[in-house]
Formats: sequence, C-alpha cells, structure tokens
Amino acid sequence: MNHLTEEQIVLHYYGDAVMPSDEIERHLSVCADCRSEFSRVQAMLKQIEPLDVPEPLQSFEEKTWLRLRDQLPEKGGFFRGLFRPQQKWAFAGVMALLLTAAFMAGRFWSRPVQQVAQQPPAQVNPQRVVLVAVGDHLERSQMLLVEIMNSDSKGPINLSSEQAEARELLDDNHLYRVSAQQNDDPQVARLLDQLGRVLAEIANGPAEVSPGELQQVRHTIQSEGLLFKVRVIGSEVNSKVRRPEPISGSVNQRL
Amino acid sequence: MEVTDAAVVAQVLAGDRDAFRVLVQRHSRSIFRVIYRMTGNQQDTEELVQETFLRAYKSLERFELRANFSTWLYRIAVNRTLDFLNARKTHMQTKDTYQIVDQPDAKEGNQVQLPTAEPGPERLLLSDEMKRKIAGALGLLTPAERVAFTMRHMEGRSIEEISQTLNLKASAAKNSVFRAVQKLRQQLEPFAGPGSPARSVRWGGSAVK
Repeated sequence: MNHLTEEQIVLHYYGDAVMPSDEIERHLSVCADCRSEFSRVQAMLKQIEPLDVPEPLQSFEEKTWLRLRDQLPEKGGFFRGLFRPQQKWAFAGVMALLLTAAFMAGRFWSRPVQQVAQQPPAQVNPQRVVLVAVGDHLERSQMLLVEIMNSDSKGPINLSSEQAEARELLDDNHLYRVSAQQNDDPQVARLLDQLGRVLAEIANGPAEVSPGELQQVRHTIQSEGLLFKVRVIGSEVNSKVRRPEPISGSVNQRL
Repeated sequence: MEVTDAAVVAQVLAGDRDAFRVLVQRHSRSIFRVIYRMTGNQQDTEELVQETFLRAYKSLERFELRANFSTWLYRIAVNRTLDFLNARKTHMQTKDTYQIVDQPDAKEGNQVQLPTAEPGPERLLLSDEMKRKIAGALGLLTPAERVAFTMRHMEGRSIEEISQTLNLKASAAKNSVFRAVQKLRQQLEPFAGPGSPARSVRWGGSAVK
C-alpha cells in the first residue's frame, strides 16, 4: 500500500493537496502510519500561532501621512497628458474650454453680497440642508467623471459599476435640479441639467463599451467643460456650507 | 456615503495629491499588521508601511480602477517586505553575523538564521522554551518561505492569493509553504512531545511503500 507523501500530508492540512481531499481522508482512515503522521503535522502546526501584533499609536496614520506627504511627486493627471508631444494640439482647445468655463463659472456666482447680509439669522435653514446635499452630490459626480476620464481605454471597457453610480446620481440630480429652479438659481439648475444629460448617457449606455464609445462620453464631458464646472461650483457650495452661520428665509439665496 | 477607494485613486490621478491621505488613513493600520507578522520588528514595519504607500503612489497609474485597492496594496506591501527580508539576509550573510541556532539543519547551513541584532517575529515568541524553538525554526526559513508560510498559516490566505501576490505559479507557492513546514518539522518535532522524532526521516518527500 502506498503511503501519502509528506507533501501530501502537509498540503492536506491546509486543504491544498492536489489529490482530492476525500481520497486522502479515505486513506487516512485505513492507514495508521499516515494518520499518525498527519496528527503529528497537525499538532506541530497548531503550536505555531499568529504573532501578537502590537497596536500602533493612535496617531500612526497621521504620522505616516506626514512623513509621506513631502515625498510624493505631483501627479499631473489629465493635464499632464496634454503636454505629451502627440497631444499638444489638444492643449490649446482645452485651455480655451477652461477659460470659457471659468468665465461662465464667474458669472454663476456674481451675486450681491448685501442681499445675504440683510437676511435675518434663523435657527434652522432647510436650504442649508439642501446645500450640503448638493455639495455631496457634486463631489460624487466629480468622482464619477474623473473615474471615467481616467479609466483604462484599451480593449472593451466594463462600465457597469460606473453605470450603477450614475443611475443613483441621476435620481438625486433630478431632485436637486428642481430644487435649484424653485430657489431661483438658474445657473445651478443649468449645471445640474447638463450633468443630468451626461449621467443619463452613462447610465443608459451599454455596460461594456468600446474605446471609441468611451471616447465619445469623454468628449461630451470635455466639450461642455462639465468636470471643471462641477469642481468650481462644488467648491463654492462647500465653502458656503463651511460658513459658520446659516442664513434662512432668503428668496434670492442660491443653492 | 463613503467615497470608494477607486474614486479617491481617480482623484489623486487627476492631480489631487492630498486625496492620497484618505487611502493612507484607511489602509495603513492593516498594512502595518501584515508587514509586522513578517518582520516582527515595529520600527522596520513602520518604515516599510511608508515605503509601501510611496511605491503605491508612484505606480498608481497602473492600478485598475475596478480592482480592489486593498488587495493591490497588500501585494505591494508583501513584495516590499520580501525585498526587505532578502536584502537583510544578504546583508547578514555579508557581515557574517549569524547566530548559531539550537538545531541547525546541515543542509541549510547557508540559510538566513537569527541575526543577533535584528530580531524577527521569532524573537517575540520568547515566553517559554517551545516558543523559543519555534522562533529559532522560523528564523531558518528563507524569506520566500517565511512570507508564503505567514500568508498561508497566519493569515489564512489561499494558495491562489499567495501565487498572485508573489507572482509565482500555484505549484511553486505550495512548494514554498511545504518547504517551510518541512523545515519547521525538522526543527520542532524533536521537542513536540512523546514519540515525536524520526518520522520525518521516513517522510523525506516521496511516496513510501
């Protein structure tokens, strides 16, 4: 009768033997030598317990980050790509888009300061709640757009996770757009309308897209300066949220 | 809703370097545990955690956004630790500062053993005699065996995960785990209890009739 090899016995302990496990078990049930050997391996390995790992200091993460931060080189991301020799042609176009987007963003937020200053303080401002939600919504949307702009574009691309996110965002987007319109903020409403169209395009497209189709989606995002607008307005919204005293009761207050 | 790791990576790739902080906050503690089990030295571990994140940041462009970031980071951590252990082994061999262990294996005389000044995980298991033996035996493993054994035995990682992490074939990963256990047996069985020794002589690696 063939005994099991040491390797078979050791690997069986971990469930990794090539030979089917039930065959090994059958053999162990009839072979006292191998059974004894298996018990020996088992007993020896059970003595080797995982090391007790000391818990690092509470500030460990922060300390790691602070030590790391200065060593991290800048990543150019999307803009770095523009400086590649073959893509220089795109640079001028993108810069023009950015300037246009910056101009439009500037217009969005040109509002009289005194209107805000005249408003009486309130204990609860429902608009502020919406403001927080819109800020979060824009941040999530920005993440999604960035993911799409940076996803690998070689071969068929699976966008199912991005689609799920886009569908979720799309529902919220509709509510916030209506809210912006009701609060007399056509600029934010327009941005959300624009964002909604891109989200719908992503949500309703095929789960797997070709590089060409992905390029089309990216083109839509780029050509409308959407990512930039979302960043600018999202940043503005967040800075409003961080302001200490919320203002309520304003007809003119924008989201 | 918490922003996903992939979204943070995308943000970093888009130029927001400080967003990387989120990933450090989320994962540094678990990476610390992984590395510590392999090095057994807190100071080395802290440095390796930092190097792991630095390496991850530098290769972030190669991260597939649909992949699991913690798995990807784990692989970097294990490989960085393996490099470190290999370098330490070379350094120790060069300096010839090995400590003589209790039961050195004649065939493995050139393998890394417990260096006096650089305690590994073995040094932390000094509560009793058996633990000392285990510590000495772990010190006889090569870095690859140590890492494979730690992943399989202490972390419960599958052979597939080990082979993917160390970029080995599954058979090679199994072999590393087996060789580690074989060496541990040779060192530990003489002290393991009644009727312990000698069986490993019969089980030299091939089937016996």
